[in-house]
Amino acid sequence: MPPSQDPLYAGLGQAVRIGTDLLASLIVGGGLGWVADTYLFGSTPWGMVVGLVLGVVAGIRNAYRSAQQWPKT
Amino acid sequence: MEESPLHPFELHNWIPISLGGLDISINKAVVIMWVVVSLVAVLMVMAGSARKLVPGKLQSMAEMMVDFIRGIIMDTMGKEGMRFFPLIATLFLFILFCNLIGLIPGSYTVTSQIVVTAVFACLVYGLSLIMGFLLHGVKFLGILVPPGTPAWLLPLMIPIELISQLARPISLAVRLFANMTAGHVILGVLFGLAISGGLLIGWLPFAFTIAMNGLEVGIAFIQAYIFTVLTCVYLGDAFHLHGHDEHAH
Repeated sequence: MPPSQDPLYAGLGQAVRIGTDLLASLIVGGGLGWVADTYLFGSTPWGMVVGLVLGVVAGIRNAYRSAQQWPKT
Repeated sequence: MEESPLHPFELHNWIPISLGGLDISINKAVVIMWVVVSLVAVLMVMAGSARKLVPGKLQSMAEMMVDFIRGIIMDTMGKEGMRFFPLIATLFLFILFCNLIGLIPGSYTVTSQIVVTAVFACLVYGLSLIMGFLLHGVKFLGILVPPGTPAWLLPLMIPIELISQLARPISLAVRLFANMTAGHVILGVLFGLAISGGLLIGWLPFAFTIAMNGLEVGIAFIQAYIFTVLTCVYLGDAFHLHGHDEHAH
């Protein structure tokens, strides 16, 4: 078996992936909301609230999607 | 004796150079990067120059490495992805050697600087965007609309997809940076405990330091591997819009 299809590697890769994907979506969502608040609309704090919620949704969706591609062992 | 565990990450300019207000001074990280680049180049050239039918130690190591990277590309991108082989192999080997060299005491982990990882992530993500727009034109924006989305969900799905797209380079950069930094902070804390503990109890954290170093070698490999896999996945998404599932096996 080539190492790239080794279930250990593939599983470890998925495990390492999901945590940071969640965090990064949260950062991006909150960050975009904050930028919209501070520089565009002056609607503090609503842009950030909406952005954070969207970020959480995007992060969970990413985690869900990469879990769908988990290697079948 | 009391040193911050973050102290090893500080960089001091060895040779200050300023180019039109731009700070391009030579520091430890730059020198280690040169060392890594020349090490990888020398090793690969030495391994490739023998070309024996029955490979020696170095040649079979290099062959394994190349086969490994080839396997990743074929799994995630399919045959078209092979034209990116040089880029992806370079990224993998550079990150792997940076991570491993950083584990030698007294050396420096270049990948624990977020500048370095962020540049790689932006390079990869920018390349995938350029590839996507070159191949698909404006239709590439369809990556923001997952297949099978009902029309009334679009105002919700497009911001979510936009966020998850923008999160890609950030998660690439942060993952590598955070893993390398955290590992070395733990090593630093444990080693500090070992030194301040003295002989009576200090052997215990010292033993942990050795165990952690072993674990860090594994993490060095896994982080280089996952960075490469995600590079392939992102580039593959730009290749076949929504169609990458049939290449997944």
